[in-house]
Amino acid sequence: MSRWRRSVDELTARRRRQHTECARAQNALSRVTSCFQQLVASLGSSADSSFLREEIDETRALAHRICSGLSDRLLRLLSACDSAPTAVEDRQASERLWVLFLSAVENFLSDLRKAKDLIGQFPLTQRSNRRSLVNTGCTDGLVGLAARVALVQIPWLVLEEEPSPDLTNHIAGLESLLSELQQRVPVAFWSVEATQPAWAEVLSDPEDPEDSLEDMMEVEMVSNGSSRKVSACCQGTCCGFSCVG
Amino acid sequence: MTIRTARPNRGHHFRPRTHCLKKVDAIVVEMQDPKNGVKGSEQKLNVTTIPHAITGSNIIAWIGNKMKTTTEEAQAFGTMLVAYGYIYPLQNHKKLVMCNDSSLYRFQTPYFWPTQQWVPEDSDYGRCSILFPTCNGLELLCFKQAHYNHLHEWLNHKWDFIVMQATEQYKAGRDRNKADRVVFDCQERAYWIVNRPPVSNIFYQQAIMRSKVKSSVSLGALVKYITSYKNHDPFLAPCLPSNPWQSDHDAYWTLNMRRVEVPTKMRVERWSFSFFELLTDLRGRDDFKIFLKKEFSGENLAFWEAAEELKWGTASSMSSKAETIFKTFLAPGAPRWINIDGRTMGLTVKGLDHPHRYVLEAAQTHVFMLMKKDTFFRYLKSPTYKEMQKKALNPEAHNFSPAQLEENARNRSPGIHPIILWQQEEEEKAKAATAAAPVDVKAVMSKIDRKK
Repeated sequence: MSRWRRSVDELTARRRRQHTECARAQNALSRVTSCFQQLVASLGSSADSSFLREEIDETRALAHRICSGLSDRLLRLLSACDSAPTAVEDRQASERLWVLFLSAVENFLSDLRKAKDLIGQFPLTQRSNRRSLVNTGCTDGLVGLAARVALVQIPWLVLEEEPSPDLTNHIAGLESLLSELQQRVPVAFWSVEATQPAWAEVLSDPEDPEDSLEDMMEVEMVSNGSSRKVSACCQGTCCGFSCVG
Repeated sequence: MTIRTARPNRGHHFRPRTHCLKKVDAIVVEMQDPKNGVKGSEQKLNVTTIPHAITGSNIIAWIGNKMKTTTEEAQAFGTMLVAYGYIYPLQNHKKLVMCNDSSLYRFQTPYFWPTQQWVPEDSDYGRCSILFPTCNGLELLCFKQAHYNHLHEWLNHKWDFIVMQATEQYKAGRDRNKADRVVFDCQERAYWIVNRPPVSNIFYQQAIMRSKVKSSVSLGALVKYITSYKNHDPFLAPCLPSNPWQSDHDAYWTLNMRRVEVPTKMRVERWSFSFFELLTDLRGRDDFKIFLKKEFSGENLAFWEAAEELKWGTASSMSSKAETIFKTFLAPGAPRWINIDGRTMGLTVKGLDHPHRYVLEAAQTHVFMLMKKDTFFRYLKSPTYKEMQKKALNPEAHNFSPAQLEENARNRSPGIHPIILWQQEEEEKAKAATAAAPVDVKAVMSKIDRKK
């Protein structure tokens, strides 16, 4: 094989490796931002505590590391696609990752802003502040979420270590990152096609049958001597087994 | 990445006022006080027990006590709290009212409060419809199947992201304990019930069903627009004679006033850009009227103007205006009968039984299109327009020295008083009303007969 051919193959192989690395990082980012959203949803509620706030900060820092690393790598991947000859599928896959990354960052940014508002509205500096927390029924089930975040692994965690910014700077940094990225890489994001089907069956899991909200909200109702299982949400207004949410 | 449109957001039929809502926030926070707040109990379910459930009667009693109002007022306030999403019902979760009985409610987490101003985006709708499939997430959002497919198409580039987020959220939920999972799902479901897109709202449906134009076509239209208008833009091309904001000389404004005898060349050129430009410039409209009078086809424009008056006029005069319009333009055998198709005529006449501001909208659009497609082009080729083009002024550009500029600045005048302008308008209107009385062909013919 000629040396040129071999180098082209090497380049393609390297690019594919980078692509898989970015895809894994994107999954990790998705997980972290999703957990972050659930954590922020508990801010200001009865489940709020200094433990929650610390968890939020740590999750945020992790997301920051993933974001900065992933943005650099995706930029390199896409500019490499421009210079060297690439297969159309490779280029399309990279663009798809790019769009997913930007969507995730946008989503994360809106959650960050909400977190900032909520932390401002419900400060936890004194004991008396706990009185104003909203009684939402959530107690303290966030340990599971924290463990989930801790399990996230990114390939470059060991290599680069920089201090994570505080909330305001983080928001400003992400905003500038978004605008910069959108200007530097001309990707027609409407040309990216979905790989998932429209009716996402991803959530159907045969191992865990008692999933749906109606099942969990069932309440045993005893009436006229015979007990009937009725959903707590629509008492008496439906036939009892198909609660239309 | 989100494709945002610059259109006004007519899909939202309520505008949360942050200032008022912040006060409601404070009240809801007060309800949490362990000593003086609302007393909570527990909600017993088969699988678990969830604390912090409150009964409607307790809430209403607390509100009545705190605000020192009657039970009815307190109940109304409570219903408002439910409608805006501060409190959600645990039974009958689709009905957003506060009942003064033992039905249970719970507080919504501050993340979902309306003060967060979280306008749900398309991707959030997508995520919700995936997360609540068994509850017919579609029904939750009042989507129909066709809308869901269209949403999938519209968000195709983000669909993978949406599915990923939904999956992660679902899996993360499984890691929490049962009670919290139920609560979190309830909270999100309550949020979506409060914030679902308005049912059969025509603007939202149109937004979902909007057809897509090829970018080459829309860019071509944009380029054409820019090419025609760029010489008329005061930022890109110099105003003739001079830009009053820069030279303090108001010749430009006096030359382009409403009722000037001879308009400027630039103005006349603008009239040829589109029919809309011609009509909106009132001087152009006058010119067009002169042309129509020569052609004896002024009834279309007269109807269009009458419809505009109905739209923008006072509510008290609406029914009388509607009647005159009907008698003058729409009734069979009317003196200025307009020629619109039978279906539109039927709809309009039926609508005139109960006249409202926009009853003539369909007929007005039809007449506008008639004029635009036919009369407008004839006008542009007519001698009236060509004469106007020849007569039009082309003022010389001013060339002020700095000393003259300073003098201009010193001699700035406040301009014509608006009252004087208004009086002039009224006089003109009165003159026009008598002069433009409907040409009653029968009267003219009888006059000619009498003369014979």
